[in-house]
Amino acid sequence: MSARARARAVLIPAAAVLAVAAACGSDGGSTGDGDQIELTYWTHTHPPMTELNEQLIAEYEEANPNVDITYETIPNNDFGTKMLTSLSNGSGPDIINMDDSALRGEYIPKQLLAPIDPSAFGVESVEELEALYVDGTLDGAKGDDDTLYGVPSEFNATAFAINTQHFADAGLDPASPPQTWDDVSEYGQQLVAAGHEGFNFVYLHSGWHTQQLQTLLNETGGSILNEDGTGSALTEPESVEALQIWYDLIREDQVGNADTASREATSPFEDFASGRRSMTMIYPWAVEQIAQDNPETFENLAVVPLPQVDPANPSGRWYGYYFAVNKASEQQEEAWRFIEYMTSQHERWLTDVNFVQPLQGWEQSEAAANIPFLDVWSQAYQQGTFDEVGPHWSEVQDAIKAAVERSIFDGQPPAESLEEASESVDQSVSS
Amino acid sequence: MALTRTAPDRAGGERARLPGAGRAGWRRRRDAVGLVFALPALVLFAAFAIYPMLRVFQLSLYDYNLTSPPVWVGLDNFRFLFGDERFLASLGASLFYVAVTYGPAVLLALILALGLNTRMHGSAFVRLLYFAPVATSWVAVSVIWRLVLQPEGLLNQTLNTDIPWLTSSTWAKWAIAIAAIWKEVGFFLIIFLAGLQNIPKDLQEAAALDGAGSLRRLRYVTLPLLKPITVVVLVMAVIRGFQSFSPQVVLTGGSFGTEVINLFVYKTAFASARMGRASAVAVLMFILLLMVTFVQLRALRRSA
Amino acid sequence: MSAGIVARPAPVSRRRRPVGKIVVFVLLLAGGLVFASVFVYAALSAVKPADEVLTSPMRWLPTQWLWGNFTLPFEQAPFARYYLNSTVVGVSVTLLNVVTCTLAGYSFSKFAYRGRNVLFLVVLATLMVPLEVIYVPLYALVFDLGWVNSFAGLIIPSATSAFGIFLMRQSIDGLPDELLKAARIDGAGELRILWNVVTPMMVSPMAALALFIFMTNWDSHLWPLLVGNDEEHRTLPVGLAAMQANNLGSGGLPMMMAAALLALLPTLLLFLVLQRKFVEGITMTAGIK
Repeated sequence: MSARARARAVLIPAAAVLAVAAACGSDGGSTGDGDQIELTYWTHTHPPMTELNEQLIAEYEEANPNVDITYETIPNNDFGTKMLTSLSNGSGPDIINMDDSALRGEYIPKQLLAPIDPSAFGVESVEELEALYVDGTLDGAKGDDDTLYGVPSEFNATAFAINTQHFADAGLDPASPPQTWDDVSEYGQQLVAAGHEGFNFVYLHSGWHTQQLQTLLNETGGSILNEDGTGSALTEPESVEALQIWYDLIREDQVGNADTASREATSPFEDFASGRRSMTMIYPWAVEQIAQDNPETFENLAVVPLPQVDPANPSGRWYGYYFAVNKASEQQEEAWRFIEYMTSQHERWLTDVNFVQPLQGWEQSEAAANIPFLDVWSQAYQQGTFDEVGPHWSEVQDAIKAAVERSIFDGQPPAESLEEASESVDQSVSS
Repeated sequence: MALTRTAPDRAGGERARLPGAGRAGWRRRRDAVGLVFALPALVLFAAFAIYPMLRVFQLSLYDYNLTSPPVWVGLDNFRFLFGDERFLASLGASLFYVAVTYGPAVLLALILALGLNTRMHGSAFVRLLYFAPVATSWVAVSVIWRLVLQPEGLLNQTLNTDIPWLTSSTWAKWAIAIAAIWKEVGFFLIIFLAGLQNIPKDLQEAAALDGAGSLRRLRYVTLPLLKPITVVVLVMAVIRGFQSFSPQVVLTGGSFGTEVINLFVYKTAFASARMGRASAVAVLMFILLLMVTFVQLRALRRSA
Repeated sequence: MSAGIVARPAPVSRRRRPVGKIVVFVLLLAGGLVFASVFVYAALSAVKPADEVLTSPMRWLPTQWLWGNFTLPFEQAPFARYYLNSTVVGVSVTLLNVVTCTLAGYSFSKFAYRGRNVLFLVVLATLMVPLEVIYVPLYALVFDLGWVNSFAGLIIPSATSAFGIFLMRQSIDGLPDELLKAARIDGAGELRILWNVVTPMMVSPMAALALFIFMTNWDSHLWPLLVGNDEEHRTLPVGLAAMQANNLGSGGLPMMMAAALLALLPTLLLFLVLQRKFVEGITMTAGIK
């Protein structure tokens, strides 16, 4: 064989492999020509929100023909994992919409996000931007040094929902809803006797287990981490009391059945929405979802204040999702411009999907006037705290989920479950 | 794997038959072309198997979270793992899964193979019923079993029980094993049937002529001859078992004591961004599987 | 060869009494039907109205046969996209494997360059390394190559297989050297010999390999989950698991069953049509010849 033939023999297979590789690899890159700007934007999955996002994106692209936005919704169970991995290795989207626990717990400490660009919002400074929002509501996107990394797409306080028809079935007065968890238990048992599931928590993924326990912890005065965040406080009596409330309701008083609870992440309140369950904790966006998907339940839905351990000193839980920009993004300016457009449409977020973007005076806006049970909500927005966070928070959430499961599904006493969880939390935050 | 023994031979055979310097040069060129034929595969192996393999050993000695540069920690990752409840629990979950799924699955496959190794009309159809789950994907099958295992699903309704299959630490690991046995029996059945066909018929017939009843023939002829294949099957079972991921993800998400090794590695690496620790688990798994393979080779050599 | 399992079962002693045989057969058939009942249950659940899927007491048959449920996965999720992705990835991986494994198998079987045996042993050794063990650095590598969220990331790392090389080498070993020698004397180049002499005789093992690789790939879940982040690159197992996690309330159960059945249909059909090859592939993995 001639030298040339030999060279060809060497090159052909190698070239074939490379050609395939190149052909396959190129579809991940940009196809932009000239000034075309491509932005990627990821959110979790919530069908009403997805729809509004798509509308707003279309409008923005229409108004800015040089911008092309690729919008992805990631399944909720995978969302945290996908987002962290992608941001960590620099492959994430330009724009993210993420909950405050992930922002404060992982992304900000790991310096994965770009600080906010006030000029995109038409203001001079971060202070000016902050002044536009209700006090404290931007804290969910701030680092330890008070640098701001995002603005809220939705800001949620916690309330309680009851099915008034079920109350009537059980001979209860919907006008005097439960004020304490003892009331929930008492009413719940009567509702069970009337053939309904009285009350239950939601069992989806570790984030849900943790946020519901946190809501109870806020009321009992317990916490997940000790004061300086170096270890677990889950075995403190106040913390055990929180899981004990949960345990007593479900295992002792059996106001709900955890084994048959629906676990569908796109419709977390499915059991309440389908008219099977009579009472549930609820967030503003869920009311709209029920109104859209289950109008007949919505007719009988009343939003009431969250039951309290100590009604004289009510507490609540806040959480928010924030628009933020990937530090690795090469189009940060454009990304913030898009975010500015998204937040400028805050009335539509409120009207269409019941997402509160807590700008000063949002309760007085015309859009807010049409929000059902506005008085309950605005009261709920008065009293809230953001969730605790710490290093390796996903492991902490896993440990809490496992503890809840051991107690609520397997029947292990809360003190014991939390003892085990505590060890694992200690290990996660310290290594 | 079982056939590594057949690998090293036959290099020089052809060369000896073609003497002469001119021819030797021509042959060397030809052999060079032969090497080129192997190149695409070799390049792929080097890049996507051997390099990551070496990397995994290296990474296991570092603390690495993808965002900041790796920090050398020596054997800390291993030390941590041996004291970590969650890792030990996942090892336990994997061992349980391997034993409770693959023990019964292999035994059932053997029994079915003995029964189905006939020329009877319709036995081909019966085989199909057992083979079918093998030809389906784990995720699809797990989605189906998630329904079967619901409190009011097929299994409870058929057994007339009220077991929370997927939401209890007592039952969830058994529930997954039941689904997995259903999925895997056919795979081993195929292998056992092939093994049975390899048993010389005259041996069976000779034993039958000697007046051995079918049970005696089974015990003294068939089973001993199936021994090598059984060893292979058991090793494959262990390896398949340790690779399990999909049924746990779909059926329980790893809750209720079903977080198997693979799921633990996945979460450690990609939910907590602890690449070093995850690599350390991989190294331990590799050693474990290597030991299993070693046992297989020894058993084979002894029975050969 | 193992192909006989399906078509030509071995004769068993003629002395066995037919009654016993029939009892055994009936037992085996009953067991098989229990196995198949899971598929039947899934199929019937797929065409039920959502609120009839989980009822107590259970009803096998739907009151209304909603065949339209089979279109739900396509309407409520990008199921067609998942299907297409799985097909593209499966077919590409299969073709690449057939090419790379045949080339390497031929090389290891019929050429005598230095280091050949060492290379072959190294390839065989990788059989012992499950992908699960190396996916952390593999992911990092694929990321560095810019192949996260691309078909390259889904395809290239699976483009060859130790098992395939082994299978092809064993098969090509059976070709008489004289055949190749004759072709060489006729002046054919090595590529021509490969194409005109070797390949035509290797169609059967290549087909067994192709089937085996395709089915394995169709089942692949963990790797595509890592490299196929986005909707555009989700394969069926990844998409199906995502749909399961996000399924739209109890209304989603028939849809999920429909989706699962649609997802397992291609390989099930391939199996029904090509049983012998399928069995051949599996018995090969156990090293039975």
